[in-house]
Amino acid sequence: MIELLAITDDRAAPPPPLRIVPAGPVAVVVGPVPEGEVDAEAMWARESLLEDLMEDRPLLPIRFGTRVEDDAAAAEAVAPRGEELVAALERVRGAVELSVRAVDRGGADAAAVDDIHARLAAHAREYARHDGPEALRSAYLVDRAAIDGFVAAVRELQHEHPGLSILCTGPWPPYSFTEPR
Amino acid sequence: MSPAARRGRSRDKVLAGPLDGDLDAFERKIPHLSNALSRRIDADPDSVQQGLAQLVLTIVELLRQLMERQALRRIDGGGLSDEQVENLGRTFMELDRAMEELRGHFGLEPEDLNLDLGPLGRLL
Repeated sequence: MIELLAITDDRAAPPPPLRIVPAGPVAVVVGPVPEGEVDAEAMWARESLLEDLMEDRPLLPIRFGTRVEDDAAAAEAVAPRGEELVAALERVRGAVELSVRAVDRGGADAAAVDDIHARLAAHAREYARHDGPEALRSAYLVDRAAIDGFVAAVRELQHEHPGLSILCTGPWPPYSFTEPR
Repeated sequence: MSPAARRGRSRDKVLAGPLDGDLDAFERKIPHLSNALSRRIDADPDSVQQGLAQLVLTIVELLRQLMERQALRRIDGGGLSDEQVENLGRTFMELDRAMEELRGHFGLEPEDLNLDLGPLGRLL
């Protein structure tokens, strides 16, 4: 069995033990199935592999734990969706995902939350607002060159809205922007 | 990776945080995992019998529901005589009563007879 990590269109060899398997117009990054328990460490190990990969190539992360028998099965699973994946890679090329969560500490209203979201969205290519226990939980697809401006905007908004705690994390692989729109 | 290293790793991902640096409000638990774990059988000697009874009765209840569904399908199909339908009905009433007695004996409610299969949802 091999584990599928990501789709990309850059066929340069990744650092071992990862390998590239061509699949039609795109390619799959595959690796050995990790040993041991599925826990936070395993998640971070995988996350760190994906982050190293996304330094120098566009990628669509594949769902954690996706496994197939061998290289041929990997290519077979991916190639039929080649055209769709080429478009999906263009969508995220040169961008990363930044996550923003805001927690109400008393005295925040919906208008403030919408204002925060709108001003951050202006720095992003795309955004995805998620449901969650927080006042705001959203992901932004941000050009690498725009990351600093985005983070500066978060700091500014935090000063303007002391009634909210705002947390911005990243850069992440574009987890929220891989599904077809 | 040690827990401290992992926390360090999570903190590395923070690009901007609250002014007081307090991130506790953002801590999240993984609900599926914690629910699934809390349904494990307790190894305390006093409750182990009840835990086992719960597990066995859950399986029996699953079989009972499957049989009942199968029987209904055959009744709907019209392949059974009136007498056979009558017998089936009485059998299932008896089974239902027996389950109720067993549940009462082990102090279990109907909703206790279920298993949380984590991300797959509940068994019954």
